[in-house]
Amino acid sequence: MSAADLLNLFIAALLLAGVYAVMSVGMTIIYGVMKIVNLAHAGFLMLGAYFVYEAHERFQIDPLLGVLLAFPVFFFIGMFVHWLLVRRIPTSDKPTLTSLLLMFGLWLVLQNLGYLIWGNADRAILTPRTLSSFELGPVSFPTVRLVVFATAVVSLVVLEFVLHRTWFGRSVRALMQNSEAGKIVGVNVQRTAQLAFGVGIGFAGAAGGLLAMLYSFSPDFGRPFLLRAFVIIVLGGLESFVGVAVGAVILALTETFVILVLPASYQPAIAFSLLVVALVVLPEGVAGLWNKMRRWA
Amino acid sequence: MEQDAPVGVREADTAASGVWRFVPALAPLVVLAVFAALPLANPGPNTVRLLFVTLTLVAMSVGWNLLGGFCGQVSFGFAVFYGLGAYTTALSINGGIPPMLAFLLGAAVAAFASLLIGLPTFRLKGPYFTIATIGVSEAVRVVMTNVPWTGGASGYRIVEKVRFVQIHHYYTGLALAALAVGISILVRRSKFGLALIAVREDQDAASDLGVNPFTTKLLAHALGAALTGAAGGVYARYAAFIDPEGVFAFSTGVAILLMSIIGGIGTIWGPVIGAFVYGLIHEEVVAYFPQAHLLIFGTLLILIILFEPAGVLGLSKKLFSVFLRRKKN
Amino acid sequence: MPPILQVDRITKFFAGLAALKDVTFDVEPGGIYGLIGPNGAGKTTLLSIIAGSLRPTGGAVMFEGIDLTKKRSFGAAQVGVVRTHQIPRPFKSLSVLENVEVGLRFGRGRGAGNAVHETMQILERVGLAHAYRQSSARLSVGDLKRLELARCLAARPSVLLCDEVCSGLTELESGQVLDLLCDIRRSGTTILYVEHNLKAIMKVCDRVIVMNYGQKLTEGLPQQVQNDPAVIEAYIGKPAGK
Repeated sequence: MSAADLLNLFIAALLLAGVYAVMSVGMTIIYGVMKIVNLAHAGFLMLGAYFVYEAHERFQIDPLLGVLLAFPVFFFIGMFVHWLLVRRIPTSDKPTLTSLLLMFGLWLVLQNLGYLIWGNADRAILTPRTLSSFELGPVSFPTVRLVVFATAVVSLVVLEFVLHRTWFGRSVRALMQNSEAGKIVGVNVQRTAQLAFGVGIGFAGAAGGLLAMLYSFSPDFGRPFLLRAFVIIVLGGLESFVGVAVGAVILALTETFVILVLPASYQPAIAFSLLVVALVVLPEGVAGLWNKMRRWA
Repeated sequence: MEQDAPVGVREADTAASGVWRFVPALAPLVVLAVFAALPLANPGPNTVRLLFVTLTLVAMSVGWNLLGGFCGQVSFGFAVFYGLGAYTTALSINGGIPPMLAFLLGAAVAAFASLLIGLPTFRLKGPYFTIATIGVSEAVRVVMTNVPWTGGASGYRIVEKVRFVQIHHYYTGLALAALAVGISILVRRSKFGLALIAVREDQDAASDLGVNPFTTKLLAHALGAALTGAAGGVYARYAAFIDPEGVFAFSTGVAILLMSIIGGIGTIWGPVIGAFVYGLIHEEVVAYFPQAHLLIFGTLLILIILFEPAGVLGLSKKLFSVFLRRKKN
Repeated sequence: MPPILQVDRITKFFAGLAALKDVTFDVEPGGIYGLIGPNGAGKTTLLSIIAGSLRPTGGAVMFEGIDLTKKRSFGAAQVGVVRTHQIPRPFKSLSVLENVEVGLRFGRGRGAGNAVHETMQILERVGLAHAYRQSSARLSVGDLKRLELARCLAARPSVLLCDEVCSGLTELESGQVLDLLCDIRRSGTTILYVEHNLKAIMKVCDRVIVMNYGQKLTEGLPQQVQNDPAVIEAYIGKPAGK
C-alpha cells in the first residue's frame, strides 16, 4: 500500500463522510426535537432518489438541480405526514416504541409504493459527471463524489445558519434541549414540531437524491443507509450537528479502511456491528464520552 | 406499548360466570383437536402446506411474544434465531442425526445465541434495545451470507433418505405450535409470567421488589429463541433447501414481530391470530400482487398503532362486549 | 443490640456536584427513624442508595454484615431492604392483588406458601382488601400509596424505606398511613422515613436525622431536633439583620 493509495483511501473516506452526514441530518432533527426514531427515513431516502431520477429521465433536469428541488417538495410531504400521522401519537422526552413502530409502518408503505411504481429493478443516474474523475497530484477521485460532498457541506452550513440565526432555529434548539422549558418560554411546540418534521423529511429526500448520484438504487434502497444513520447519530451523540459530522467521519473511516483487513463483502456488517457497540458501550455517543473526559480534567 | 388500558390483564374485571368459566381451559384443547383432525377432511396439498407454514409461524410469533409482548422488549432480530435453527437442523440431519434431535439442537443453538445477544443489549431500554436488535440481525445476516462452510449465499440443501410425507410435517408443525401455545399459557400463569409483566410495566419498580430484570429478560429471550429456532428447523426440513438471504432476512424478523402486533401483543392468543392473519394475507396477496403485502402490513400496523393497539384480539373483545350490551338492552 | 443499618460516610457526586457528602448514622432495630431536611438536601438520593437503586461515589451501607451499596435493588429486596416510591409506581396492567403478589413472590423468603391468602391478609392490613380485583391503573392517590406499602410489606422487609408516603394525602388519610406505619413497626420492621410533613415526623418517629446540602446536620429525639436552632435555620433561614 503506497502512501498515495492510503491518501486516496483517506480522501475517499472523507468524501463519504460528507454524504453520510447529510443523510443523517434529517433523522437527527426529528429525533432531537420530537424524540421520534424515524424509521421511515429510509423510505424517504428512497423516494428522494427516485424523485431526482425521474426528474432527470423525464424532464432532463440535472440531478443537482433535482436535489435542490427535492428539498421543498419533501418538506411539504413531511409536513403532511406530520399532520396525518405523527401528531396523533403522544410524544415525550424519551423515545417511545409507539412512535418507532408507527414510523416503521410508514416505511413499509413507502417501500411498497416504490415497488408498485418502479418495480424491482435497480436504477441508476448516469450523467457525464458520473464517469469523469478529478485529479489533484497523486490523488484522484470521481468528480461526482466531489460534487456531492460539496453539496453536503453547503447544506450543513445552511442548516447551522438556520439553527443559529433564525427564530425557527432557536425554537428547534430550545425544544431539543428541553421541551417543557421551551413551552414555558413561549415556543409553539406543535408548529415547531411540524416544521422540524418537514425539514427532517426535506433533508431525507434531498439526501436520497444525492445518494442516487453515487449508487444504484431500488425500493429497498434505504435500509443500509438507515442503519448507518443510526450509527452516526449514536456515535456523534445527540447534542449537536457537530456530533453528526464526527460520527459520519468515524463511520466512513472505519468502513473505508476495514477493507484492508476484511473481505469487502463483510463491509455492511461493519456499520451494524459499530451500531451495537456504540449503543452498548457509548450510550451517550462520542460527545458524551468527550463530556465525561472534560469533567475529569 | 405505552397505554393506560390494561393489556393482558390476568383476572381483574373480566371474570366470567356460569358455563363460560370453562371456556379458557377447554378452548385450546378444542382448537388443537380441530387441527389434529383436519387431515381427515382431505384438504389439498396446497392447503396443507399453507397450514403447515402457518403453524410454524404460530410457534415463532408466540415465542417472540414471550419477550416482546409479556416482557415488553421489542426485538426486530428474531430472524437470527430462525436462521440459526434452520441451519443447525439442516447440518444435523445431513450429518445423520434423527430429525427430532436435530430440531432440539436447532432450538438449543438459537437459545445460546440469544444469551450472547441479550447479555450486552438488555442493558438498553425501550427503543434503543429495538434498534440494537436491528443492527445485530443485519450483521448476522451478512456474516452468514459470506461464511463458506454452510454453502454461503447459494444456500444449503438437505438430503433425507426417508420418503417425503407431507402429513408428517404437518403434524410436526402442529406439535410445535401446540407446544409453543402451551408454554405461553404456563408462563402467563406462573411466577415467571408475573415477573415478565412487572418488568414490562416498570423495570425499576420491579427490581425494587426483588425481581431480577436481567435474568427475567434473558430467560424470556432464550425461550422465544428456542421456539423460533425449532420453527426454523422444522421448516428447513420441509423445504429441504435454505439460503441465508431467505432465513436471515430482515423481513423475516419483521414478520415475526408484526404477527404479534396485528393479533394482539402481550396476550396468549393474539400472536396465534396474528400468525394466521399474516400467513393468509401473505399467501393470498403475494400470489396476485407481489410486494403489496408490505402496503397491507404497513397500513395495518399504522392503523393498529393509531386506533387499536390491542390488535385484532382487542378489537374483537370490544366488538363482542358491545354486542353483549346490545343483547342486554 | 447492634444497629440494623449502618450508613457509613456515604458520598454521591452527580457530574461534579456533591449531592451527598460523608453522611453517617446508625439505625437501631425496631424503630421508626425520620429523615428530614429542606428541598435538595439529598434525602431521596440517600434512600435510593440504601435501597440499591443508585450507586454511591463513596462509602458503604452495612446491613446484617452485607454492604448494600454493592447490591442492586433486587438484591437488597431479597435480603430484606425494600423502598416505597415518592410518586407511586404501580404495575398498571396488573390488578391490586397481582401487584402485591409480585412483592410476595420475589421479595425475601420468595413467597413460599399460600399466595392468595397471604396477599389478602396484607391488603386487609393496609385497607385495600375491597379493591383486590381492581386494575391498579385506576386507583386514587391515597390507595396508590397504600398499594406501595402493601407491595413492600409482601416482600417481608426487615428494613422499610418510606419515601414521602404522606405527600398528596388529606389529613385523615395521612393519619391512617401513620397508624399503619406504627403497626408495621410493632410487627418488628425497622422503618426509615423520608418526609416533608414535620407534624407527621414528630408524631411517629423515635429518632430524627436532619440533612442539609447533602450532609447530616444533626440527629436526635424529635423534640430536640425541633428546637435546634441550626435546624430551624436550615429550614427557614437566619432572621434578617443578624
